Amino acid sequence: MKLSLNWLNDFVRHGLLPEKLAERLTMAGHEVKSIDEIAGDRVFEIEITPNRPDCLNTLGLAREVSAIVNKPLVLQKLKTIKIPKTLCSVTIEDRSACLRYVGAVVENISIAESPIVVKERLQAMGVRSINNVVDITNYGLFENGQPLHTFDYDKLIGGKIIVRRAKAGEKIVTLDGVERQLNPSILVIADAERAVAIAGIMGGQDTEVTAKTKRILLESAYFDPVLIRRAGRALGLTSDSAYRFERGVDLTNVDVAAKRALSRLLDFAGGNIVNYRDVAVKKTVTQKQFSVDMKGIGHFLGTNISAVQVKKILGKLDFKVSGKGECLKVMAPSFRSDIKGAIDISEEISRIIGYDRLDSSLPQIKPSAIVSSERFQLKRKLRRILTAQGLDEAISYPLISRGAIEKTNVADLPISRVKNPLSLDQEYLRPSLLASLLAVVNLNFNHGQKNLRLFELGKIYPPAGEKEVLGIVLTGNRPQNWQINKKETVDFYDLKGIVVRIFETLGFDLPTCVLGKKTIDIVLEKEKIGFLGKVSKDILKNWDLKSDDVYYAEIDLEKFYKLKPQIKRFVSLTDFPSITRDVSIAVKQDVSFGQIESLAREIGSTHLIAINFIEQYLGEKIAAGQKGLVFSLLYQSSQRTLTEAEIAPIHEKILQRLSQDFGAVIR
Amino acid sequence: MMRWDFDKITQEAIKEITACDDLKNLEALRVKFLGRKGLLTEVYSSLPTLSAEEKPLVGKNANNFRNKITSLLDERRILLENTSTDIVAETLDVSLPGIAAPVGREHILSQIIEEICSTFENLGFVVQDGPEIETEFNNFTALNIPADHPSRDSFDTFYLETPDPEQKDRNLLLRSQTSPVQIRLMKQFKPPFAVVIPGKVYRPDAVDASHSFVFHQIEGLLVDEDIKFSDLKGLLTAFCQRLFGEKTRMRFRPHYFPFTEPSAEVDISCYICDGKGCSVCGRKGWLEIMGCGMVNPKVFEAVKYPKGKYTGLAFGMGVERMAMLKYGINDIRLFFENDVRFLKQF
Ligand SMILES: [Zn+2]
Repeated sequence: MKLSLNWLNDFVRHGLLPEKLAERLTMAGHEVKSIDEIAGDRVFEIEITPNRPDCLNTLGLAREVSAIVNKPLVLQKLKTIKIPKTLCSVTIEDRSACLRYVGAVVENISIAESPIVVKERLQAMGVRSINNVVDITNYGLFENGQPLHTFDYDKLIGGKIIVRRAKAGEKIVTLDGVERQLNPSILVIADAERAVAIAGIMGGQDTEVTAKTKRILLESAYFDPVLIRRAGRALGLTSDSAYRFERGVDLTNVDVAAKRALSRLLDFAGGNIVNYRDVAVKKTVTQKQFSVDMKGIGHFLGTNISAVQVKKILGKLDFKVSGKGECLKVMAPSFRSDIKGAIDISEEISRIIGYDRLDSSLPQIKPSAIVSSERFQLKRKLRRILTAQGLDEAISYPLISRGAIEKTNVADLPISRVKNPLSLDQEYLRPSLLASLLAVVNLNFNHGQKNLRLFELGKIYPPAGEKEVLGIVLTGNRPQNWQINKKETVDFYDLKGIVVRIFETLGFDLPTCVLGKKTIDIVLEKEKIGFLGKVSKDILKNWDLKSDDVYYAEIDLEKFYKLKPQIKRFVSLTDFPSITRDVSIAVKQDVSFGQIESLAREIGSTHLIAINFIEQYLGEKIAAGQKGLVFSLLYQSSQRTLTEAEIAPIHEKILQRLSQDFGAVIR
Repeated sequence: MMRWDFDKITQEAIKEITACDDLKNLEALRVKFLGRKGLLTEVYSSLPTLSAEEKPLVGKNANNFRNKITSLLDERRILLENTSTDIVAETLDVSLPGIAAPVGREHILSQIIEEICSTFENLGFVVQDGPEIETEFNNFTALNIPADHPSRDSFDTFYLETPDPEQKDRNLLLRSQTSPVQIRLMKQFKPPFAVVIPGKVYRPDAVDASHSFVFHQIEGLLVDEDIKFSDLKGLLTAFCQRLFGEKTRMRFRPHYFPFTEPSAEVDISCYICDGKGCSVCGRKGWLEIMGCGMVNPKVFEAVKYPKGKYTGLAFGMGVERMAMLKYGINDIRLFFENDVRFLKQF
């Protein structure tokens, strides 16, 4: 909303410099965004909050200023006009869409230019001056907030005004020269035959007031805010009038504003009013009186305010206040539909005084009945663990395209669709984090960044639900430095290492990796809690990723959140020496190290305290179908020094069973 | 005439040794004077060729020289060892980069969320979260947003194709604010409580440098029997001064939110220009950083709290905006693109 300071001066003598006034208005809830100088005037651009349509005009803002500076508000008196008894034809068909319609016909008007002062003020409001008649309607809108419209009465077929819904297929060319398709959700003003205006939004070209116009019909009305807003959105059309109707105009001002405009009309354009009609479903808004306990308000604000001051402020804001002492009876003016009770009064008073002048205190915060989210705490830890392993955290868009889902081969997963997507790029709630992370990989590849270690703690969305998952993606080379700069590509084991490290650090049982159908499952206590593996060539090709090695792991955090860390007990540090035996064997490739490990543990019992994997080798050095495994077994007792003689039979037995059970050849 | 002028030789040796400032050169001097092919060996090996009267004199001078030089060399070595390090002997380019285990970065938005949440945790708040898929009741109705309010339109809120199980004629939606978590918590718990709630929110805004259809908010709620408007001012002042520095000045500007009354927007003095006006604050000297207010009694009514029993304060802030202000980031899309060059900067 624009506010002209010259215009404001007509209403209230505030005596403040523009910058100071801007600050006071801002601190009373009407933020002044900018101050412009237009033709010797200072014009504020003010952001009016949606609850205050009454401030979308100069009078409304002047009322606020008068309360802020505690100076009287004066409304310019106009010449009184004689309202004729003869009626014009106004019919409201849709009585819920139009609560009031005032029409007046003026004859013998002379279309001319507006007086200078009107032109200047409209210029300050950013509105072009057209002619005296049209300018008067705009002047009225910016003066008191009531949108007005004038029709060329001679062009209204049958001289009739009908407020009705548009018919299916009905069309109108609006004042901006655009032909618009109407439908029954749109309210129109019609004459005997056709729509002549889109109610509350814009008039039609056919009935526009021109230089030749002799008779006009002035319209001042109240239209349903929601209907106007929806029609405007549907038509992609807005106007200063629509902006005010959408937010709600003052029902009691409809005729007052019409009479002010008629008075100006006779003054500027001559003519005489021949008929007048005020059709009202409702003429006023009934405001309820309520009581305000000043003690209670003082307590709620944490600052005591005197009843005298409250009366003064509310009086300036056109509230009716009565009652003595601490208990006041208050009634808001008709244009303040935002005021409903004592709590609203506390805001009125405090914003006019200024929040900055109210007291400040520190609340006594008691222990909460709500406990801190374990999920949040665990995510904190996960971030720490993963960044410590060189992974960067990504946060990606949860809404993705159909294409991204198909490219990731997850189109068979059930998905949720947004009903009103903004674009096809954000049509679906992602069913997998992989699609999001591959887009991230793609972007980085395009920027030449090929070595990526990324994770995201994000949500995926099965139909009508959501769950948190951890996604990890690795690609490119292992971390290098200038001393170790052998280029090695990451592989499955890098990813497994990271996954296991998470469980280890959090003190959970360690998961095992189990070969599944398409991926390798991460299993803990027989339950699958995630998967990992190499992203298939197909998918990489779909995403146009020029790499063979992109690894991905996903952990279902909903299951993860249920895990409990093992109870840790201190193990005393033993000073007894340990004995390490290296073992090198050749076995068939289908024998897993896990099998060997559990056999060794079973035989080694309490003496075998650790098995350290050293190396696996395949290829030339070993027979086809076989693999070489090197590992060490660590024997130690916490009670005494173990002798070679004690260890030898155990170790021998392990080796023997390895050959017996798995056909291992000891090398 | 004697073949060696020990006085002169000693003088020169002393000069050389005291001028020497590195262990390597000092070792070279030791070899020169005392080594197997050095001066002293030369003197001793020539002793048999000398005359009988020369022999004891030269021998004595040579011994004095050896003692003197040995102790000088020792002194110098100790001095040099204490002023330098042993590895001076290696060729070390100390300007080469050090080697450390590779480390990753938490996303800048996570870092800001962490900073804000932990500040509130230190003030006695707990952190909570809630779902992104919400009902119209929790996202709007319970928050005193009227049934025909524009924010409920499909222009301003993403709806899913899935119907709301509790209200079959309505569809589920993607929350447009973190406030529905307040409703969920209040439906479940009785005051007192103090919570902060970080999370993603969605609004159908076309993506450009300053708009995103998804962004992060942090919401706070403190409810008890006697929370005052002055508490709101005090609490948020304490928060801002902890986050932005002790000298930060604050401004509470009246504003409008349906779920709070009175409502305010909080401005802090611009920490770039200290309130003088610069490009970051748009020459205003103030930066708008959050919205807040006293919980509207209608909200308590919606969660069926006894009438008039509780009061509360609530506040909310945009995480992306905080990060953009704090680091001068000029494009909101950067947060979601995850270019590692961006991620590694913070
Ligand atoms: Zn600044």
